[in-house]
Amino acid sequence: MSIEIKDELNLIPVKTYRWLNVNHLKIDEVFDKEIKPYTKKFVDEQSNGNMFLGRINNVVSLEQYLEDFKGQIEYGVSKKLVHMAENLNNAGIFASLKRGKTIAEPIRVEYVLDEKEDVLIDNNIIIAEENSKATFVIDYSTEGNVSVFHNGALKVFAKAGADVTVIKIQRMNDNSYHFDSNVAFVEKGARVSFIQAEIGCKKLVTNYISNLKEESESYIDSVYLGDKDRELDLSYYMNHVGRRSISNMEIKGALKDRAKKLFKGTIDFKQGSSRAIGREEEAVIIFNKDVKADAVPLLLCTEDDVTGEHAASAGKVDADKLFYMMSRGFSKEEAIKLIVEASFNPVIDKIPMEDIREIIRKEIHNRLVTEGNR
Amino acid sequence: MDSKFLLINNLHVKVGEKEILKGLNLEVNKGEVHVIMGPNGAGKSTLANVLMGNPKYEITDGEIIFEGTKINDLKVDERAKLGIFMSFQYPEEIPGITVENFLRLAKMAIEEKPIKVMKFKKTLREKMELLDMKEEYAARYLNEGFSGGEKKKSEILQLLMLNPKLAILDETDSGLDVDAVKIVAKGVEQYKTAENSIIIITHHRNILDYLKPDYVHFLMDGRIVKTGHESLIELVEKEGFEVLKN
Repeated sequence: MSIEIKDELNLIPVKTYRWLNVNHLKIDEVFDKEIKPYTKKFVDEQSNGNMFLGRINNVVSLEQYLEDFKGQIEYGVSKKLVHMAENLNNAGIFASLKRGKTIAEPIRVEYVLDEKEDVLIDNNIIIAEENSKATFVIDYSTEGNVSVFHNGALKVFAKAGADVTVIKIQRMNDNSYHFDSNVAFVEKGARVSFIQAEIGCKKLVTNYISNLKEESESYIDSVYLGDKDRELDLSYYMNHVGRRSISNMEIKGALKDRAKKLFKGTIDFKQGSSRAIGREEEAVIIFNKDVKADAVPLLLCTEDDVTGEHAASAGKVDADKLFYMMSRGFSKEEAIKLIVEASFNPVIDKIPMEDIREIIRKEIHNRLVTEGNR
Repeated sequence: MDSKFLLINNLHVKVGEKEILKGLNLEVNKGEVHVIMGPNGAGKSTLANVLMGNPKYEITDGEIIFEGTKINDLKVDERAKLGIFMSFQYPEEIPGITVENFLRLAKMAIEEKPIKVMKFKKTLREKMELLDMKEEYAARYLNEGFSGGEKKKSEILQLLMLNPKLAILDETDSGLDVDAVKIVAKGVEQYKTAENSIIIITHHRNILDYLKPDYVHFLMDGRIVKTGHESLIELVEKEGFEVLKN
């Protein structure tokens, strides 16, 4: 048995000229791997007055939780990949935060892939009852350099007044594949913050959709690094349904060597989302001319009383800035590394845990430093 | 050692196709303060940039000798490590790195060894107080959202923390109000010792109310046309730059 993916991924919400090559990512690959059980411990299970947290396979019935959202769940990198994640998974968490409870300690989920366990299909569900609050850290990493395959799904249901932060870190080795589908349902007055660091892999395809009801807030803060031959396809979608909903995307990237990146960021103001505010900004620093950086920021509007802003920029490391830094004693490589790290810092600084910030900084540092030695 | 601290011989520099410096000569000894004045476009900022090694400027002839070493072909960071510092006319904003981290990393880069954190923090606090900078500036991103005056103070803070041998101040006093000029001058005064030298490039004489130069040079059309003492400035202020042409 092998895993075959022949599909069109990350479809653009509104199609544009075919020659631009941004409408979708075509993939036709066969992975000589099979879905086996994932046996490592990846979460501390618990059940108490504040929450229930367990492996998803141990949860008898999800139906009762998902009833409210039936029919409106369409999301992900592609239908087939979401189907695989939801039905053929070998891991995943189910978390249910009880009404009005705040979980002080961040909940950590660590998926580690290696030669023996080289396939991870995870299905994760977070349900935050009214006015509950928690932070989740989901960390995907590898041991060794063997190519691994990851396809995952995450659904976040933030009920009225709930506040959920999800921090996703992907730092797998350069031979690996990462397909990541995420969706959030943000109910009245609730808030979902999604912080993402995409640092590793050969090919990664990420998709995030947030559905914003009345007076809800949704944030995406994301950093990505493309080095060597990495291909990144990132799609973020803010779906404003409710009045006075607020969304903000801030994405910072750096590309070097022969990396390729396509970013699609959509803010969609649906009819009825009056006085909603949506902002998106993507900025990428380009190291050399061999990289490819495309960005498609989209504003869709069927409601007129809204505020939308979008911006995307790609720039080489500024010569004046470089001169300034070097005049303070930094070598060219150190200066570039610092400028990239500095551009990532405003995003990384939003992560409330020092050790997680350190992990991300270290990964980025290591990948930038090897360039300097080449 | 009788070699000069800084010696510039017959320096020709161009930017793009345009020659800006056309055979400039200058000697600076240890412990001296030199002021360079001159009309717009004379090449004052070019001199500062070329001393620091800005790759936009190309030396076509002549040499720059710093403490006996020809530095024409040294990279910017190599010059910084030798002890050359330039205070920028328009300091860059570096979002994402705090003033404190930037200075700590820069000091480590220049000294090429780890530094004692507690001592560093203490010195930083003292220097900031001297420059009348609020303590919270240490935690702000370098120069981001700083006013013109704050940026210039941040440059002098870097000068004091990095403590180079040669400081080149490129119009550090321009755009500052009287009080800020006074504070900046106080900072520079503290930096000054018998062991280091200062080149002040300026348009105004205000800063010279506080810092006494050993020499004043007038730079016109790519060359130093006149060297003298402070009295020279008065003459030029009265008669205009034309007086130097004779």
